[in-house]
Amino acid sequence: MSSPGSARHDERLILAMGGGGFTMEPANPLLDDYVLSLARSDEPRILFLPTASGDTTAQINAFRERFVGRPCVPEQLSLFRLSDTRRSLRETVLEQDVVYVGGGSMRNLLAIWQAHGLDSLLVEAWRSGVVLAGLSAGAMCWFEAGVTRSSGPPSVIRGLGLLEGSLTVHADGEPERLPVWLENVRDGSIPGGWAVDDGVGLLFRGLRLERIVSSRPGAGAQRVDAIAGELVRHRLEPELLGAPPSALGGLDEAVRELREVHRMRRGMGGRDL
Amino acid sequence: MERDGSLLDEYALSLTGSARPRVCFLPTASGDADHYVVRFYRRFSADCDASHVSLFRRDQGTDGVEDDLASHLLAQDLIYVGGGNVVSMLGAWRAHGLDGTLRKAWRRGIVLCGPSAGSLCWFERALSAFHGGPRPVRGLGLLPYSNCVHYDAEPARRAEYHRAVADGMPPGFAADDGVGLHFRGNLLERVVSSRPDGNAYRVELDQAGERVVETRLEVSYLGSRVIPAHGEPGAAPAPAQPLAPSGPAPGASGSVRVAA
Repeated sequence: MSSPGSARHDERLILAMGGGGFTMEPANPLLDDYVLSLARSDEPRILFLPTASGDTTAQINAFRERFVGRPCVPEQLSLFRLSDTRRSLRETVLEQDVVYVGGGSMRNLLAIWQAHGLDSLLVEAWRSGVVLAGLSAGAMCWFEAGVTRSSGPPSVIRGLGLLEGSLTVHADGEPERLPVWLENVRDGSIPGGWAVDDGVGLLFRGLRLERIVSSRPGAGAQRVDAIAGELVRHRLEPELLGAPPSALGGLDEAVRELREVHRMRRGMGGRDL
Repeated sequence: MERDGSLLDEYALSLTGSARPRVCFLPTASGDADHYVVRFYRRFSADCDASHVSLFRRDQGTDGVEDDLASHLLAQDLIYVGGGNVVSMLGAWRAHGLDGTLRKAWRRGIVLCGPSAGSLCWFERALSAFHGGPRPVRGLGLLPYSNCVHYDAEPARRAEYHRAVADGMPPGFAADDGVGLHFRGNLLERVVSSRPDGNAYRVELDQAGERVVETRLEVSYLGSRVIPAHGEPGAAPAPAQPLAPSGPAPGASGSVRVAA
């Protein structure tokens, strides 16, 4: 864990979502607006990585639909389609304010990142204050372990290990993952960690869980640890990000306020990177 | 399955020696793009027992093969690897153990073929164009050479390929769009083309090891001649010269037909 002194000014942010955001909640922008609010810039550059889906057009279109027109500079990075860009992967990743990782196959995601050397670039980005956000495979990948259906039935898989512990996603939406995760936590195969419902995001500053937010009433998370072979489970209540979205999809008041606070904090103490 | 590629597809099928070959498509390099899978079935399902393996939708039951990928692949006559990004493809293959399975398939005599990334992957080294421009990448290494595709269509690749060979990449073969390099074991047996003007080249350093030399290879245009039946290796008009022959790998009987 980071030392108490450094935690306050820790620039490293990861938002791990159990599900939700533009690919799963096209009519609910609360989590995605929250992602933008975490960035160090008022008009953040946000890079979408649809790798885990195989760079599907559907995910890319949903990303553009959500972020074009919002105060940000959206861009997607395909590792399958050729692009005209002469920019290196390194430049493309490190010049962002937010990197947003989509869902899909976690096994493929990590293997393909590794093949391109993108895993180490993302670690570097995280250390330099680029917000890492993602759902499902794109959330579990930051932890020591997760539960994937990359090969069909749910099985545990090792992640990048930026964050301590394990994560399982879609705890409400895909209940078949949960028992696999619990059993592996109980027998010590993987470390304890969090089970997160669709619509819920865990915000980590450095290695510390700072906040739990939700785009849906009723959704939650739990912290689970194995103590002497027994599971100890704690229910965690998230902060609901706002009222259901208006037809105009405008910024929720709480998000606006949060952004303001964030901006002030940055102006006062934050390192400008 | 590429533009005007049906002659190459027929040639690949003819190498199986089967009247109704079992053909499995691996669209990994495209991210298992739906439209590519559809195109495959349109092209092959009439004359073949066609199937595909998706490494991205294994949880969703999309009619692709889901259980025991290895046994399924090893039961094929032809494995057809689609184009796309070779680095992403090799990464995903490794994660699912397909690199080992394909090596085994080759040793057993299953015909391996594919365009673009589906060509590059079989070689020791390959030139892959991606973010930041073409660069050498490591392939599965079944064929102890390097490979460059789209040689006519993308001039930047030729310059980069020459530079890479000059810098120590193993010597190898470059192919224009529409041209297939047919290897038996690890020797180049024949060069075929779906276009009258398609070319392929051997690219290597000269004797002194100073200058990159490009030698044009004899190409059989598939449109003007009857496709030879399986097992007639003498049908080629002039066998292509092998490069730096290191002898066939022990037990290597597989055929690889690759096309740009």
